[in-house]
Amino acid sequence: MLLTEYLITREPYYKPSGNEIKHYLAAHADRTPIILKGPTGCGKTRFIEYLSWKLKIPMITVSCHEDMTASDLVGRFLLDANGTVWHDGPLTLSVRHGAICYLDEIVEARQDTSVVIHSLTDHRRMLSLEKKNEIIEAHPDFHLVISYNPGYQSVLKDLKESTKQRFGAINFTYPEPAVEAEIVSRESGIDPETSARLIKIAERSRNLKGHGLEEGCSTRMLIHVGKLISRGIPLGEACEIALISPLTDDQDIRRALGAAIAACA
Amino acid sequence: MRLAPDQLRQAGMSPRTKPGFLSVVADNGKLANEVVAGRVLDHSFPQAYAARWLRACRRLDQAGYGKGVVTAYTRYSGELVQKIDPIDILQLADVVSSVAIKSGRVAAQELPSAAVKAATRLKGDAWIFRTWLGLMERFAHLAPESMLIVLQKMDYLLSRLNVSRLESWLLAGVRSAGADSGRRLQFFTFANPEAERWLERESGSVTFADVQRELKSYMNALWGIRQPLRETSMHAPDHVWRRATFGGGLIYMPPAFPGYRGAQASDLYRAGVAHIGAHLRYSGKPFPVLKLKPVQVALISLIEDARVEYLAMREFPGLRRLWLPFHIALASGVMTAPSLLARLSRALMDPDYQDADGWIRRGREMVDANRDNWDADVSREIGGLLGNNLGQMRVQFNAKTYVVEPAYRDDNRGLWDFAEQQSAMEMEMSFDSVQINQLEDQQQPADDERDEHEQTDDEAAPISVQVTEEEGIPVARYSEYDYLTGRKRREWTTVVEFVPKPGPLRMVENTLEQHADVVNRIKLLISNARVSRPQRIRKQHEGDYLDIDACIESVIEQRSGEQPDPRVYARTERRYRDLSVLVLLDISESTNDYVKGSKSRVIDIECQATALLAHAMSGLGDPFAIAAFCSDQREEVRYYRVKNFDTPYEKRPQSCLAGLSGGYSTRLGAAIRHAGADIKTRLTHRRLILVLSDGEPSDIDILDKNYLVEDARHAVHTMARDGIDVFCVALDTGGENYLTRIFGPRNFVQINKLESLPERLPMLYFRLTA
Repeated sequence: MLLTEYLITREPYYKPSGNEIKHYLAAHADRTPIILKGPTGCGKTRFIEYLSWKLKIPMITVSCHEDMTASDLVGRFLLDANGTVWHDGPLTLSVRHGAICYLDEIVEARQDTSVVIHSLTDHRRMLSLEKKNEIIEAHPDFHLVISYNPGYQSVLKDLKESTKQRFGAINFTYPEPAVEAEIVSRESGIDPETSARLIKIAERSRNLKGHGLEEGCSTRMLIHVGKLISRGIPLGEACEIALISPLTDDQDIRRALGAAIAACA
Repeated sequence: MRLAPDQLRQAGMSPRTKPGFLSVVADNGKLANEVVAGRVLDHSFPQAYAARWLRACRRLDQAGYGKGVVTAYTRYSGELVQKIDPIDILQLADVVSSVAIKSGRVAAQELPSAAVKAATRLKGDAWIFRTWLGLMERFAHLAPESMLIVLQKMDYLLSRLNVSRLESWLLAGVRSAGADSGRRLQFFTFANPEAERWLERESGSVTFADVQRELKSYMNALWGIRQPLRETSMHAPDHVWRRATFGGGLIYMPPAFPGYRGAQASDLYRAGVAHIGAHLRYSGKPFPVLKLKPVQVALISLIEDARVEYLAMREFPGLRRLWLPFHIALASGVMTAPSLLARLSRALMDPDYQDADGWIRRGREMVDANRDNWDADVSREIGGLLGNNLGQMRVQFNAKTYVVEPAYRDDNRGLWDFAEQQSAMEMEMSFDSVQINQLEDQQQPADDERDEHEQTDDEAAPISVQVTEEEGIPVARYSEYDYLTGRKRREWTTVVEFVPKPGPLRMVENTLEQHADVVNRIKLLISNARVSRPQRIRKQHEGDYLDIDACIESVIEQRSGEQPDPRVYARTERRYRDLSVLVLLDISESTNDYVKGSKSRVIDIECQATALLAHAMSGLGDPFAIAAFCSDQREEVRYYRVKNFDTPYEKRPQSCLAGLSGGYSTRLGAAIRHAGADIKTRLTHRRLILVLSDGEPSDIDILDKNYLVEDARHAVHTMARDGIDVFCVALDTGGENYLTRIFGPRNFVQINKLESLPERLPMLYFRLTA
């Protein structure tokens, strides 16, 4: 197989917080395209990595950005010393050879970008490369998964209705406190008690979402705090470094959050 | 031209002295206290200034203020010369003289010694000292009777305030007493408690205003409670003023905690907010007071305080560190009710605290026995019992003077149901209306103050000095379009500008608080909008056309056998936002109607929407103006400038926005033309007039409904010809409207609630970028 370097060989740690694995596998059986919705750092990427490992299908990740165009996905003719040569983009690669194509933060990409996936996400399952005058039938292993963070930024940057309606969606949130504590403690190597305290701290910052903070502290962020703690940094300082400072530059909010965190321990 | 101090000095002038002023004084007078003057001259005064200083002394002497004045001046000059520039000492003579004229010789006699203290406190900084001197001269003019007392307290005042804060404090005193010299004197002798509060405010101790935002976020983060935090009124009685309080959906915090400074004061505020949060979380419904005695009420409150803190500390152990340092009651001391209560508070909070008093031990035991099933009823029972015991011990309790200890705890009014109590919101409203009346009263100050006020208080300075509320100024005449004849009626309407009345600032603050998420969304939306001249972006991987320069380079590289740069395309893109917005509010009588399917009036939603938009735009630094209009026939189209493009969006425009009220008719066309004349001069890429209206032009001198509609349509077309976009956000009142006819089908959005504003605004911005 051509995409061996995209295969995930070691089992990623993933702790389910609901039926999401079952739901995904059911959708995957018919290759129904899937949107993973949820705030940043709640485990969307880890989830899909885990399933890619479980299904033993390679996974190609594309992080979308606002300057990304359709050619960045599909491929383009590039100039080299001998003239122009076609290079497959990541999407074409996974369509041709069979992989889970994971488009991270799809709404960040320009609107015309998301249209190229339309023919892949309905009954046709094919990709046409206009520039190359080629039509590729999707490989049976090809599965399209996109992630999407429904935050404020979606006011202007929303998915087109015609794009949205091609997908099934699995909603992610931060896990239940007990589950989240287990994840944080497992990933960062701190004791369960400290981990539970970190969850309480996270709730404080999540209370401020939309009222001073764009987004509360994510599970990923908590793991970073936990890792610092397990390296011997005291809890307060670790929160300052890996939680308060990255979240906001607003002095008032920082002080408020700092005080609320101090109340937790 | 302004001269630097050095240049002034070279020119032989002090910055404040009129040239030649001193030289007018004849040299032939004899100085009264030649001996003192001689000593001063011998020992310290620089020779270069000696002659002028002697002249100044003589002049004071000859002015007939009495021996004391000139003696004080000569005597303290010797000390002053060690600390400040001699030129300022010469100037001091002028100020002494003008103080003597205004406030009398006793005050003038006091001034030189106060100047010595000031110079010491101000560490000899020449500019600051001059400012202080100027301030004294002005103050003598504003409040002559209080000059002496202020000078006597100068050392104390400057120990707490810097000069600019001293100025604010002095002006606060002058303002609060108005023209009444007796009340001014009360303020400056600190007989009026306001004086101390203002001093506290100005003295840089942590005030509520400093920490308000932080506290709001703290409350939200810790407890997830989003109740508005307010400052207790300066006009409230003393016992109310000293402690926090809550109830009716609002939380009031003291403007300052006297005696606490720096980090301790911030902690005290946090502790207070955390404590009230604990009440809101755990206390449940207010208790009915019924027939409880005041001492029982106080004790039940105390036990309940301890209970909610106990529960809160179980949830957030760190709160103990926050609260405990404020429990400073000691086991010894007199057996008065307040001290016993404070000791009991500490005993319930601090396990390490030892107290041998029987009553306190009993209280502690009762609480400890019930800790596991401690609910509000238990608090009430224990508090009642302890209250009875205290009565039996014959310890007097005075409810009128009782203040809850420690300082972070609220006065517990929120815990009790007094049956006749107004809700806090109502209280706030009634309080607001009192304030408005005062504001209006203050707009007519006594004659001798008016000039000073306008110069000193920027915030209260009217936007345009000549125009008053009662009589506007006609500023322009515009023609009106008659659709029947297809011609313009020349100079048919007169636009009269009025100064908008200030209203309660709370309206704007409340709107922003209640719709925090809408503000965020609007801000993001505006910041994402790209409204500018398209720019060519070269050297791209992808693009609409080839970038010829890049192509040539690529081919050269290719021919020379190098790796060519594949970025050979170019495209055009709008990258920035270059846009001026004028928000034009319709405040005609019809805006007092209710919006369809809602309980809000059109004008309220208009003002709230404007507040949200203005907040977002000022936060992003976009240029914008706000104006409002209504009309009383063609000769008086009233136009209110709430904010101009070049004025900052501060308290004044905000309160003017809040103060708009509906009346008269809607002559939309004339208002659009006047707004157009205003925005025409802006040099931005796009210019937008955003009309907020219910969409029914009308006026009492016009019977033909279509006439004003067609005129407004004509005005919109004229604007379009000048490159000005006119867009309407219409509030749906369910009545007839002519939006499509006036603005065109794509140039308006209809909303019926504030929340839908961010959903509909994108359309407007898409229109601008299209």
